[in-house]
Amino acid sequence: MVYEWLNERLDLDRFKKKYLTKVFPVHSTYFFGEIALFSFVILILTGIYLLFSYTPSSRLVEVGGKKLPAAYHSILLINSQPLGVIIRYVHHWAAHIMIAALILHMIRVYFSGTFKKPREINWLVGMVLFTLAILAGFTGYSLPFDVLSVVATGIGYEIANSIPYIGPAIAKFVFAGQFPSPGSVPRLYMYHVVLLPLLLMVTIGLHMLVMVKQKHSQPYQNKDIAKSGKILGIPLYPQQLSLMMFVFFFTLSVLFFLASFLPVHNVEYFGPPTLQTPMVKPDWYLLWIYGIIKLIPGNWVIPLGSSASISPEVIGGILLPGVIMTIIALVPFMYKEKEPLNYWEPASLRPIGTSAGVAFIIMFIALSVTGYQAELNIPITVCRVYTIALPIIAFFITYFIIRKKREV
Amino acid sequence: MADKKIRDFYTTRRKILKGMLGAAGAGALGCMLVPFGTIKAPSGKKGRQKIAKGDRLVYAVGPNAGKEIKVSDLAINKGTLAFPKGKEEHNNLILLFRAKESEFQKPTKINYTVDGFCAYSAICTHMGCTVEWYPEKQFSFDFPHLFCPCHQSVFDVFHGAKVLAGPAPRPLPQLPLMISGGVIAAAGDFDGPIGPQPGGK
Repeated sequence: MVYEWLNERLDLDRFKKKYLTKVFPVHSTYFFGEIALFSFVILILTGIYLLFSYTPSSRLVEVGGKKLPAAYHSILLINSQPLGVIIRYVHHWAAHIMIAALILHMIRVYFSGTFKKPREINWLVGMVLFTLAILAGFTGYSLPFDVLSVVATGIGYEIANSIPYIGPAIAKFVFAGQFPSPGSVPRLYMYHVVLLPLLLMVTIGLHMLVMVKQKHSQPYQNKDIAKSGKILGIPLYPQQLSLMMFVFFFTLSVLFFLASFLPVHNVEYFGPPTLQTPMVKPDWYLLWIYGIIKLIPGNWVIPLGSSASISPEVIGGILLPGVIMTIIALVPFMYKEKEPLNYWEPASLRPIGTSAGVAFIIMFIALSVTGYQAELNIPITVCRVYTIALPIIAFFITYFIIRKKREV
Repeated sequence: MADKKIRDFYTTRRKILKGMLGAAGAGALGCMLVPFGTIKAPSGKKGRQKIAKGDRLVYAVGPNAGKEIKVSDLAINKGTLAFPKGKEEHNNLILLFRAKESEFQKPTKINYTVDGFCAYSAICTHMGCTVEWYPEKQFSFDFPHLFCPCHQSVFDVFHGAKVLAGPAPRPLPQLPLMISGGVIAAAGDFDGPIGPQPGGK
């Protein structure tokens, strides 16, 4: 009844025919992107719940004779609500899962060669999306305003502040004065709940729009079954939708499981900001930058006249990560393809690209291990050697395996 | 021939108009960014009050926070975070410790130490975290040292807080000390700039 009434006015039949029958190819690695998307949805939903009680202010409030920052106190109040603490942990875990899923999704796209023409645009959009997700993670980390938040965000401020010439102005603008100023928490809050989610929604929308317009890439075995230009898979409704619902609820249940057994960012344990600095490590997805900062020798200073210089923090915290991310972003433009690629391409057809991909993954792992250099008691010179040597070794091993395989 | 001329005239005019439309749109959007440039940040901590001769040191943390530090309070190998009394600002945070007088070597300013007491800025020169006093063995350092928990810089307290390990770019500035009436006091200000310097200066 309702459907017919609406259909007469909106021509829903046409919509159904055009979109609900859209074909989705099936492969387990297609779910990485979906998991990232669903984590984002969960982040928004749990985030709205947290917004009901969070106070974005570092002003001190008196609670039971103790002076606590208002933001920190509001987190304690959230934790005291019946479902508060678990929803906070689900929110935090969802951020980790989203970034992990984005990385796996990117690895899949890279090794299946589907970043090539015509999908260069979506590779770039994906890189922007990934960067925004990391920024959202960083700003979110600062909001509980416990001692860890303040130290970690303070380090971010100092890295920006150390850029020659423009650094101090940028840092003061972004953090609303010298961190932690009274304006810092409201400003980071605005980035975290308005600006970054908005930009993320736009980039996610663009990513999907381009994907729908270009159609999915397909596993290469589909080439022999489906006619060229056709997609072999299942329709959006009802088959793909049921799969998606399964993935959504599976993600949600895994998040609740993680939140129940592995509490993250326990503010009561860390306590409100103090003069002392606790042992801090950035989240795992920034550990590689932390590793670079530790590797750069303190005397690596590039002088720029008498009033400024490029300090090791700028080299390790901004320049090198920027170069690495730019190289990754430019990957599709290193290939000259005449024909558009619509099926996955075996990784062995790109021996250099595949070997470089493995080398990059090994490099990220080596740098992250370097983040724990002091705890593992590895001398820093050993770290410097293996961070350079292991990726090169990995490159050649992969390269020769591929060559051997092709000869057979 | 005339037809082509007329057509060219119209298409050129259309191109110019489209270009102008684009420029106007971009300009209008660009103007909307201007207000963001006028935002003034609320004034946070600015600089710091300089430490003067005779400023007594007080405990910065712990149950005795705010109390003056007596000479008898600190045994050898003990250290604490301190503030100059009345100037309790983050950038004035001091790490005060006591060691055997004979252990201090240059470039430590030995005339800055008194009765085995020595004080450095507690703000790491790398990223501004608070350094800690480690009198015992840690990693491969089996003598008292200052340690920054953020990026594991190690400072040699007996050699002017020179950097032994980690990414810190400079040694920690030293604070001249004196004893006045059984209480530790500063004999002047730090001998260098505090914490990380903006713009890599």
